[in-house]
Amino acid sequence: MKRFVYINEDNLAHDLYCDNRISNRKYTIWNFLPKNLWEQFSRFMNQYFLLIACLQLWSLITPVNPASTWGPLIFIFAVSATKEAWDDYNRYLSDKKANEKEVWIVKQGTKKLIQAQDIRVGNLVWLRENDEVPCDLVLLGAADPQGICYVETAALDGETDLKTRLIPPACVGIDFELLHKIKGVIECPSPDKDIRRFDANMRLFPPFLDNDVCPLTIKNTLLQSCYLRNTEWACGVAVYTGNETKLGMSRGIPEPKLTAVDAMIDKLTGAIFVFQIVVVIVLGIAGNVWKDTEARKLWYVRYPKEGPWYELLVIPLRFELLCSIMIPISIKVSLDLVKSLYAKFIDWDDQMVDLETGIRSHAANTAISEDLGQVEYILTDKTGTLTENKMIFKRCFVSGTFYGNENGDALTDAELLSAVSSGSTDVIRFLKVMAICNTVIPVQSKNGSISYKAQSQDEEALVRAAARLHMVFVNKNGNFVDIKFNASTIQYEVLDILEFTSDRKRMSIVVKDSQSGKIILLSKGADEAILPHAYTGQQVRTYAEAVEQYAQLGLRTLCLAWRELEDEEYQEWAVMFKEANSSLVDREWRVAEVCQRLEHDFEIIGVAAIEDRLQDGVPETIETLRKAGLNFWMLTGDKQNTAIQIALSCNFVSPEPKGQLLMINGKTEDEVCRNLERVLLTMRITSSEPKDVAFVIDGWALEIALKHYRKAFTELAILSRTAICCRVTPSQKAQLVELLKSCDYRTLAIGDGGNDVRMIQQADIGVGISGREGLQAARAADYSIGKFRFLKRLILVHGRYSYNRTAFLSQYSFYKSLLICFIQIFFSFISGVSGTSLFNSVSLMAYNVFYTSVPVLVSVLDKDLSERTVMQHPQILFYCQAGRLLNPSTFAGWFGRSLFHAIVVFVITIHSYAFEKSEMEEVSMVALSGCIWLQAFVVALETNSFTILQHLAIWGNLVGFYVINWIVSALPSSGMYTIMFRLCRQPSYWITMILIVAGGMGPVLALKYFRYTYRSSKINILQQAERLGGPILSLGNIEPQSRSLEKDLSPLSISLPKNRNPVYEPLLSDSPNSTRRSFGPGVPFDFFQSQSRLSSSYSRNCKDN
Amino acid sequence: MSSGDGASKKSKKPRYSRFTQQELPACKPILTPALVMASFISLGITFIPIGVSHLSASEQVVEIREQYDEICVPSNYTNPTTAHQERIRFIQDSRTDKTCTRTLTAPHKMKPPIFVYYQLDDFYQNHRRYVKSRSDKQYRKPRSETEYGDCDPESTFNNMPIVPCGLIAWSLFNDTYRISVNDIAIPINKKDIAWKSDKTHKFGSDVFPKNFQNSDLVGGAKLNESIPLSEQEDLLVWMRTAALPTFRKLYGRIETEIEARDRITVVIQNNYNTYSFRGKKNLVLSTTTWIGGKNPFLGQMYIIVGGLCLFLAIAFIIVYLIKPRPLGDPSYLSWNKNPPAH
Repeated sequence: MKRFVYINEDNLAHDLYCDNRISNRKYTIWNFLPKNLWEQFSRFMNQYFLLIACLQLWSLITPVNPASTWGPLIFIFAVSATKEAWDDYNRYLSDKKANEKEVWIVKQGTKKLIQAQDIRVGNLVWLRENDEVPCDLVLLGAADPQGICYVETAALDGETDLKTRLIPPACVGIDFELLHKIKGVIECPSPDKDIRRFDANMRLFPPFLDNDVCPLTIKNTLLQSCYLRNTEWACGVAVYTGNETKLGMSRGIPEPKLTAVDAMIDKLTGAIFVFQIVVVIVLGIAGNVWKDTEARKLWYVRYPKEGPWYELLVIPLRFELLCSIMIPISIKVSLDLVKSLYAKFIDWDDQMVDLETGIRSHAANTAISEDLGQVEYILTDKTGTLTENKMIFKRCFVSGTFYGNENGDALTDAELLSAVSSGSTDVIRFLKVMAICNTVIPVQSKNGSISYKAQSQDEEALVRAAARLHMVFVNKNGNFVDIKFNASTIQYEVLDILEFTSDRKRMSIVVKDSQSGKIILLSKGADEAILPHAYTGQQVRTYAEAVEQYAQLGLRTLCLAWRELEDEEYQEWAVMFKEANSSLVDREWRVAEVCQRLEHDFEIIGVAAIEDRLQDGVPETIETLRKAGLNFWMLTGDKQNTAIQIALSCNFVSPEPKGQLLMINGKTEDEVCRNLERVLLTMRITSSEPKDVAFVIDGWALEIALKHYRKAFTELAILSRTAICCRVTPSQKAQLVELLKSCDYRTLAIGDGGNDVRMIQQADIGVGISGREGLQAARAADYSIGKFRFLKRLILVHGRYSYNRTAFLSQYSFYKSLLICFIQIFFSFISGVSGTSLFNSVSLMAYNVFYTSVPVLVSVLDKDLSERTVMQHPQILFYCQAGRLLNPSTFAGWFGRSLFHAIVVFVITIHSYAFEKSEMEEVSMVALSGCIWLQAFVVALETNSFTILQHLAIWGNLVGFYVINWIVSALPSSGMYTIMFRLCRQPSYWITMILIVAGGMGPVLALKYFRYTYRSSKINILQQAERLGGPILSLGNIEPQSRSLEKDLSPLSISLPKNRNPVYEPLLSDSPNSTRRSFGPGVPFDFFQSQSRLSSSYSRNCKDN
Repeated sequence: MSSGDGASKKSKKPRYSRFTQQELPACKPILTPALVMASFISLGITFIPIGVSHLSASEQVVEIREQYDEICVPSNYTNPTTAHQERIRFIQDSRTDKTCTRTLTAPHKMKPPIFVYYQLDDFYQNHRRYVKSRSDKQYRKPRSETEYGDCDPESTFNNMPIVPCGLIAWSLFNDTYRISVNDIAIPINKKDIAWKSDKTHKFGSDVFPKNFQNSDLVGGAKLNESIPLSEQEDLLVWMRTAALPTFRKLYGRIETEIEARDRITVVIQNNYNTYSFRGKKNLVLSTTTWIGGKNPFLGQMYIIVGGLCLFLAIAFIIVYLIKPRPLGDPSYLSWNKNPPAH
């Protein structure tokens, strides 16, 4: 499918494509109520409650007042509907704001200001500097005479650097005025979500006659949500609008997230439902049989001879209603309540406040805290998430001298400063390369200060550093750059830019000194791209060693080089370069080849080392979470080598020999397939070894793998605890999340940029870092935190506690409902299986609403282990991950307990309140108080830590029960008038209560004690250790010891002598982190290209050592 | 809390609260052997005396029970093959003399007040159709005599409201007893046998029976239409429905002492039909103690539970001595033993 866009034709295509209205709304005013109700009723639980509530309207079968179900039901529905409506209203407001933003477009040859939502495909849109692009445009004109403009694509792909966009060659040189009248046709593909590709053609109509069809690429587009920067104006034609833009297409509709705990609760609810149906059927049949055989003889019941047609259904339906409390309606309300409290605890947590910025952690999604405790995979973005996204020039090595080694910062190194002031030639040249050899744009603000806009953070760091060292890049005016060095200004004319590509791994610039007229080639790049091209005779080894040293410190290194060109040589080359640049086929390759001809015989000037600082605590966080059994995947849009470097420095992957990196590269299907199979094979072999094996895959290979070898890749994903995916697009990130989710893993995605939004929305839990790349991710995320390191606390403390608490709360809710339900069932056996309710309506309603829900709500304060213990033993998270505290078998325990307790309560009640005491209301209240007493003790037994609130809730609730019942008993109109006063005066009532508690709790306590002491779980052991005080101290010490032991015992896969391995030999041990930060042997750009390459670099290092 | 929350969002460092930080001081008990054993031992030690005293109190109660439903059917109605139908015929025949005399012997001295109960077995006062068939509103106020509630099928007679309506009232127990000890008739006090609260609040003193038992289908006892419901104490007792199919209801009190071996003669008007559903009828004379009537269940259970607690405590102590296991030993943590298995 193609679409043809006629430029600037007002009458064409108006109805063919949608307008530019953005809509993220779920409802309209009219469909809100039906749609919302429909959605709510698509949940099984709600359907069930509605059915029960409807059945209760039939007085023949209802055991209780229908209001006891309708009230809570309507309340629950109103609350969720209001929440939905509020959210949707906010979405509407933000859409409206975007839709009504005003933009300039050209209509009938004149410029008009219209609202963004009225833009149509084919309209000419004019943008000024810092405008947001309202829809996907094809560039037609820009202020720059060469047709270059700059955009910031952060909202789209999360990259904060500026990107250059070009006017298609056919439009270059068209006059500003003429642009209003431009006509033509663009043939482009149907809307898709690929933000890296745009394969289109353009043909202009007369008078802009151009016989050639002009090819368009993504370089010629301005995509929606990007910002125009450093360009006075730009003009483009709308090709995709509204929700059909690349951004709109890649914007997934966030689905409501359901936690694993919720799913489990639903499953258990289903099981209880089945159980209930079985009970109803059995009791229904028994009831009908009893009715026909026995009840007809009971003259005082006066069954009619002939009943209505539905007579057979009456008794089963009565039992259905009687048993409907098996599924507690209160569970949803209590869960919602405690969940919002979990979220509040996250919001309130003082230990998760970013002190630098004052940003608090925030739980936007209040419903999924338990999932935090059950995460198995963490998919993390790199830049800005693991790192601070601040590149800083730290050290350099110029002509044999290390600068910045003493104090860790070259900029304050007195030696370097004196070298600069004394005018050492090498240093000056080094600074010049730093300042000039880049594509940075200096922006002079009104007060004279200069800020730099750069495509690459590295370049920006170099330019800034140069400025600090008095080599200030002042101005760029067309092809002329002004450098200010110690008050004197030097002007250079930029002749050619030999752009950076990932193949060449270097960039060069040819400048002409305006004063001397000398032509110089300035280059910077990866060491292996520069050092081999040094002129014969230059001693390269010292530079290589410097690179090595810096790399081991976790710094990114760049080699800077320089060569003076002869005039003729340049002229000759320039012709070839122009030619290559204008070639239509294989342009990139030909340009690279031509560049190669110039970039040789370098004079190496020095090595610059740049730091992209890891955020505080990242390695520790990753290590702790690893121990907790979490698997980490790094998904980054960044280059492979950078990703690997960062991965190494933050414990993400271990350096050799403990770790092993497996590469999956390849441009073709065959290559990828071969690589994939090789890696898979290695994985299978090494999966038994205690070795950190990680695979590295790039976006291209990933696409092929996902498309054609999904099965193999899935297997790989399951086998591999660690993966690094580089150069991946936002939708690929989301696909990877999807892949892991389809393997039934709980995923957490963490990121900070707009490019992470989809992954964050797709994952079970999305965590956004409110960082330098803006707030998009944080806004889309379920949780936003200030720093990566808070993830540890979020998962280990908040997630774990939430899971534990919900596990208890939900099972307890079923326990108490089943308890009272079993008593009703037992009672039906002594009441002629007729469906009499032992308890009255008030008691039944209050049982769920007051008597049993308050004590258990306070379990939100329960802590089984202290936060410190959990942090010391993150492995304990396993209990949450594996769902050990809420699963069918634990549930069976609670089921059994409620059955046992129901038997205890029922048997004791009917025997101690027999004969003359067997008055209905009294027996009912005795049984009810028995349940209340038992549940108070059950909560007390299951509570691990009692705060004052817990005591208040548990024992206060018991008192509350009596107070409420005394009040009700004091009302003459109520059915249970005086009952509670009568009971409380009888000694046998209290004796019965004590017996029920002892009989119900004794066995439970004994069993729990036995398991606690002789079959103790890890949690129990840690509890004991923590509370008995003594061994807890040794606990902390034991662990590192045993781990180091384990390290020694682990078979070394590579038989290199350990002491000769550079990994374990930090050159500088000035910081305690140096071991951790030490790198594998490597060159900053492109290392570990392949296995063979890896081993060769090893042997090289060994030789060097 | 809400005000603190609002402020905290703006300020960089929020107000610290022990609640918001989940750091309320907490007591964290664990199940140490000492704690568990001590609680089981103390439970056992307290339960057994309570059980013994309860049991002895129950033993002090003197109770005489006489099942009279079968015996009170004259012998000409007890053809063994058709006994059931014969009995029904007997009870439903309004012309037969249903007087029946039983002689009982007091086993021990019975101190007044001696309670006279009738006990029905297999009578489902808790059946759903039955237990719902009443209208408390109607019983309370004369104005609301047409508020039938769930009284059907016993709510109206010829479109006139039946007061008291409903199956429960309709099936009022109507056997009567006359008691003489050693041939001296002693009165049965039928005053104040119903709950005081029922007399004052549940049944109106200005509500009089109307159209009661007028239909062809006569259930149980008839009521004197000149006595208000609140004074019809037999009805009030009957209307307190029993939760169990076997129940006793108070018939009256004897205020004279009965010596051991005294001969008690009871003249029973055997009117109530329990024969159709093979229910049993008993006459019970019983004294009371602080636990009420005779009920050994609680005492026995206390002794059993107390004994079990002691047994458990001893068992735990033995296990503890034989196989001591230190609490909180980190060597039990699997990740301290083995490298993490992955």
